[in-house]
Amino acid sequence: MTRPSDVKPREGDQPASLYKDWKVGAEFPPLPFTVTPDIVKEYMSVVDADPKNYVIDGRQAAPPNTLFVYMMAVMYRLYPPQQGGIMLGNTVEFHSPIWADEDTEVIGSGRVTDKYEKKGRKIICYDVDFKRPDGTMIMSVNHMSAFPE
Amino acid sequence: MSNDKVEKTIPQTQAMFDNYGKLNGDNDILHYDDAFAKERGFRGTLGHGLMYTGYVCDLAAKKYGKDWFYRGRLKVKYVRGVCPGDNLVVSIAADGTAECKSQFDTTLVGSATLA
Repeated sequence: MTRPSDVKPREGDQPASLYKDWKVGAEFPPLPFTVTPDIVKEYMSVVDADPKNYVIDGRQAAPPNTLFVYMMAVMYRLYPPQQGGIMLGNTVEFHSPIWADEDTEVIGSGRVTDKYEKKGRKIICYDVDFKRPDGTMIMSVNHMSAFPE
Repeated sequence: MSNDKVEKTIPQTQAMFDNYGKLNGDNDILHYDDAFAKERGFRGTLGHGLMYTGYVCDLAAKKYGKDWFYRGRLKVKYVRGVCPGDNLVVSIAADGTAECKSQFDTTLVGSATLA
């Protein structure tokens, strides 16, 4: 089992990356992790998910968005987080299910896609892809956040 | 797949923000420190954007069924904060327009559709 908190640098634990540190095109090192039935169960409880909405051909699937809780870990391992970040938006594609009754090996990877300042806000955009070890895409995200410094 | 509007209401509490943060490892004090959040100009601590995005996804899975897992497309913007005490109404309209609204503001806009 990989709890996101096991692999995500925590805000305030180490010197934070600042806006000037981000490089457009920088690749995030691959992050392998395992989603277990316990993680799926806990995730469903914290997002008020109804198990009835996740049954595929009679089998209990996990919410595909369970992987959201690993997203920032992929990026923050290259750029440690600062306090006060504000999430602005996400564009997400779901490609294949993960299941609630088995361990799922996942590899997260991604890259910085853009950075700019707008109305005094320092904005960072990045992509994260989540794939199985055989390369099957599970979910991809383009993310946008603003940081104070 | 349902062509109907789907909707649910989820009252927000600090405990919900805390529990989500315990799982995802988010230690940003905007989610936990009321005084810090108010200094930054917010009504109070902020809910995790991806937490209430999860609410939208739950409705999308209900609306689209199996297709959501293979060709679900979600686009969201967070336009206002969600704070403890907010009565959050989450909805996806028949055309896929997604929205979260509290008694104070629209907090999330976007869409949940199929490719």
